[in-house]
Amino acid sequence: MDMRFTPDELAFRDEVRAFLKAELDPGLARKVRLHDELTKAEMEGWHAKLQARGWLAGNWPTEFGGAGWTPIQRHIFEEESARAHAPRIVPFGIAMLGPVLQKFGSKEQQDHWLPRILNGDDWWCQGYSEPGAGSDLAGLRCAAVRQGDHYVVTGQKTWTTLGQHANMIFCLVRTSTEGKKQEGISFLLIDMDSPGVTVRPIVLLDGTAEVNEVWFDEVRVPVANLVGEENQGWTYAKYLLTHERTNIAGVGFATAALDNLQRVARAQVHRGQPLSQDPLFAAQLAEVEIELMAMSTTNLRMLSQAAQGQAPGIESSMLKIKGTQIRQRLDALTRRAYGGQASALPTLGNEGPDGADEALSATATWLNNRKLSIYGGSNEIQRSIIAGALAKG
Amino acid sequence: MDFQLSDDHRMLQDSLRGILTRHTGEALWPALVEAGVPAALLTEDEGGFDGSGAAIALIFQELGRAGVALPLIPAMIAAAAFAQAGQPAEDGAALAFADAEPGTRHDRGVAISVQGDRLTGRKTMVAGAEGAAAILVTTADALWRLAPDAPGVTIRPYPMLDGQRGADLILEDAPATRLGAIADFGGPLARGVLAHSALALGAITAAVDLTLDYLKQRKQFGQPLIAFQALAHRMADLAVEVEQARSAVTNLSGHLDAEPALRDRHVQACKVTVGRVARLVAEDAVQLHGGIGMTEEYALGGMIRRLLAAETAMGDADWHLERFARGEPAFA
Repeated sequence: MDMRFTPDELAFRDEVRAFLKAELDPGLARKVRLHDELTKAEMEGWHAKLQARGWLAGNWPTEFGGAGWTPIQRHIFEEESARAHAPRIVPFGIAMLGPVLQKFGSKEQQDHWLPRILNGDDWWCQGYSEPGAGSDLAGLRCAAVRQGDHYVVTGQKTWTTLGQHANMIFCLVRTSTEGKKQEGISFLLIDMDSPGVTVRPIVLLDGTAEVNEVWFDEVRVPVANLVGEENQGWTYAKYLLTHERTNIAGVGFATAALDNLQRVARAQVHRGQPLSQDPLFAAQLAEVEIELMAMSTTNLRMLSQAAQGQAPGIESSMLKIKGTQIRQRLDALTRRAYGGQASALPTLGNEGPDGADEALSATATWLNNRKLSIYGGSNEIQRSIIAGALAKG
Repeated sequence: MDFQLSDDHRMLQDSLRGILTRHTGEALWPALVEAGVPAALLTEDEGGFDGSGAAIALIFQELGRAGVALPLIPAMIAAAAFAQAGQPAEDGAALAFADAEPGTRHDRGVAISVQGDRLTGRKTMVAGAEGAAAILVTTADALWRLAPDAPGVTIRPYPMLDGQRGADLILEDAPATRLGAIADFGGPLARGVLAHSALALGAITAAVDLTLDYLKQRKQFGQPLIAFQALAHRMADLAVEVEQARSAVTNLSGHLDAEPALRDRHVQACKVTVGRVARLVAEDAVQLHGGIGMTEEYALGGMIRRLLAAETAMGDADWHLERFARGEPAFA
């Protein structure tokens, strides 16, 4: 066993660090660190810098214009980016749709859509969840009825992250109500500018509106925008979800949050000395750091298996649970480190107490990161997956 | 033993529930005053008519359950402290309480210093500071009465997490009246902890009720969510913890007039228990709801924010746990 990175991997890490140092604007990094809402231009600007370096699509094979990284390289890139507070790559085109089109899309679809994801011509969002179908995705009802060369789509989607910026949405739609619920679903690409599409923002507890409701009222979609075969969308959706679950442990984000908390604990005063010297607080901080050390290695063990071609099983569910627990615990400790100061209203852009935007961001982050254990298959669903696999033995 | 409400307190609860159903927004405060709610928080000696732990616990639980955001707690603490110091009470006027400081978790006297009878420095999250007739201010070891219009006082307001208006209080050599050592005001401050804890308990109850209703209504995989054992057990665990919080509030309300060492054990135990349960409920109620629980337009959000605010007021669970373990007074 060798737990060290190889010389090539270390060299790659140096390259990533040098890139981040040269290209990441400190003002932008500060916004990311404080969990401020980024503008569309800021996100697109970061994508463009990565694309210029050939690093926007680390997970794509080189034949499609990606970087073709190994799982370990992707891990190194994600961890270094998170620690440097670089904007997260918007996942919808790169991490979700891209792999689906590469595996199931037609040559025409690949040639048309993949370059547009890389060069920023399209901003994609995801139309999966519906008000009646969250974790129970097979219960979705948004319907697409074929009329000649078009599908006519009517229904509603919800939790559409960053949909307000998007010009395209990939949707799961119901094309049949016969047989098993999973067998009547298709995967459709819809232009958000089509007549009949309405987007309404959902304001969250931290004051942001990063998620949206999307309505379709008899929206006409060319049949050419169907991915794969009609009624086979469930297969593609499951494939996409396994890709969504890469970097599920969020080791880089947790490490960045831990760094931040340690900095806060050194600055806050408790009994006349830094809070970091307080035995009770130091013990809590140490516990979560120790958890992170173990989880980080669990993550690397699984990445190393994946690099050797073994498909991840219940391990990704385990990483989802432990990774989100650690991040939420770090968020809670950060709020507690700020004490009474963490009681300002975390509506971003709101006038708050002087010089207290960092304390304000601690509460905003706590509230926003409740989503970690809910989205992408809630932690309860992940526990069921683990228990189900254990029961089967 | 008898844990039942007295007839007087039952009537108070009934009339309070009636008011909270009928009045909202700006109409609520006059209705509460007319019903004598603020006066029920103070003893006869302090210009009120009840002031018992039971009355305080009852009133703030109802306000917490109804989601009321009014600076009633600081007014109560300040009125009691002023009365104890023999200072004139500002009858019916708004009073504020400046306790939290920037740069420290819950210590006092870190960002604020005393020179003679003048204060310099900063307090933060001062609810109701705008328009207050007087402000009760803590320093390292003393309590002070400050006039908001005194020279050297700047009030910088902003909205707070629980829906109230708060402010930073910036003092530059501002004249204030020393009321006495913090250690001598354990009574008024213990009432404040009771009020914050009871308010949190009310919000906890409302959040748990709302969550249970949701689990009964929302269907996934063809069944209501409450039919899934994992969720049902989590709900059961929450119910157990809510009773712990209720008992901690009851303990403190019953020991408000006990000798200081015993009272302070209950102050600390109450903050530790309610703080832990508040955090648990805030986390679990959102989780059990899923995404809808994170949205601004759904009722749960306001409850969660008030829970978070009550959790950090006047020292959080960690701070009080440490003092409990060391056998220290709650306020010194």
